[in-house]
Amino acid sequence: MATLAMTYRISLYSKRTDCVLIWSYCDYAGEIPGIMKTFVIFVTLFALAACADECYKDVVAACNPTLSKQLAGIANCNAKYGGIQELQPDLQRFANHLFFRSFDFLLMATHYGNYIKNRPGFEKLFRGLSDSLWSDGIETIKYITTRGGQMNLNNIAKDLQDEELTSPSLELYEMQSIAKALDVEKKLALQAFDLHKSASGKKHESHDPEIAHHLEEEFMEKHRDTIRELAGHSRDLSVLLSGPDASLALYLFDQHLQK
Amino acid sequence: MKGFGVFVVFCLASASAALQCEHRIPKIPDDWIDMNSVCVKRIKSHVMEELKAAMQYMAMGAHFSRDTINRPGFAKLFFDAASEEREHAIKLIHYLLMRGELTSGVSDLIKRSLMPSTMTWSDAASALRDALQLEASVTKKIRDIIKSCEDETDFNDYHLVDYLTGDFLTEQYQGQRDLAGKLSTLEKLMDKHGALGEFLFDKKLL
Ligand SMILES: [Fe+2]
Ligand SMILES: [Fe+2]
Repeated sequence: MATLAMTYRISLYSKRTDCVLIWSYCDYAGEIPGIMKTFVIFVTLFALAACADECYKDVVAACNPTLSKQLAGIANCNAKYGGIQELQPDLQRFANHLFFRSFDFLLMATHYGNYIKNRPGFEKLFRGLSDSLWSDGIETIKYITTRGGQMNLNNIAKDLQDEELTSPSLELYEMQSIAKALDVEKKLALQAFDLHKSASGKKHESHDPEIAHHLEEEFMEKHRDTIRELAGHSRDLSVLLSGPDASLALYLFDQHLQK
Repeated sequence: MKGFGVFVVFCLASASAALQCEHRIPKIPDDWIDMNSVCVKRIKSHVMEELKAAMQYMAMGAHFSRDTINRPGFAKLFFDAASEEREHAIKLIHYLLMRGELTSGVSDLIKRSLMPSTMTWSDAASALRDALQLEASVTKKIRDIIKSCEDETDFNDYHLVDYLTGDFLTEQYQGQRDLAGKLSTLEKLMDKHGALGEFLFDKKLL
């Protein structure tokens, strides 16, 4: 009992010892007389309010036959830490942006697959970009949930919602379609940069080196290569299309893309 | 005068450097393109149905991969289903391309109003039940397309009907049987063992 009273006194000064108090309460529970028990419960409740954000306390309360009736669940036993709470809406919008552009690329591939365009190389290129963004989207959802967050498929950026209303044409000529793809990929890469900036910036609530690192490793490297590839295609096409026979050049370039 | 000369030369140079980005659209006979326009429209809207199903499964995958739900087996099942539904949409697109369709209006093929109505589930069994219901509604829609495409008095689209019956309906019935079987096993496991049943079944799905 002496130990218990002592711990209680310490707990008034230090948050950390609150947890010790409850721990000792659990250990001694069997030996405490009735009147003392009520007091201890009161103290424990006070202590819970003082450092409410800990899983262990939730568990202690949940395991206690008296307390478990008053307190709900183990809400603090989650995977959340760092900046995920603050960055979750941005990550959700990022994932939805990836899906949105994945559909755009699917439509661009479709355009090149019709019998009039008949460019299997371009079809393959855009289908590949579509597939890649689709799996990026799924991986982003998985990542959000790995960090204790949740996905919201309805959290779509305003400019994308507006774009949906105007639905700009995706049936473009070869050179234009490469240019469009390059712009789209850069925009996605820059959105990842913005997220990275918030995650690695000085603002305490969003500071999260793990999110920054994840973006670097899982997106930025891949998008860098995609952007380089598309820039290379546009360079090649610009040279080929300024030659005497653009039609033949496009045919050969399409053959090259099929490989 | 010298300045003007340089200007003219510059204009000529930049004019010759203009890229030939657009090219002639060839005139191809189109009497081989024989799909009924009503049928085409129905297949096009079914592309959307498949993508809607994809996003509904996506929401299920997202729900079950949450830390506080923690059913990785179900998450995997539903994420895989989402990608599968997208493949179905692409298969239909390829079919239309094969039949000479989608030479115009491609940009409007996918409307992004795909967002799923339900985003959380009380347990795995209720998600499986929703999935089964979703598949049944897709099956019904495919059957409706088949009916209207073979009923056409002016053109019975044998090939489309065969393709939808053989490929799509087969997959629907197999998928439904699989979901129903899973739901049955799960319900039986949970009959007496509740949370333990769901936990064990989830691990089996991994
Ligand atoms: Fe499907
Ligand atoms: Fe399905």
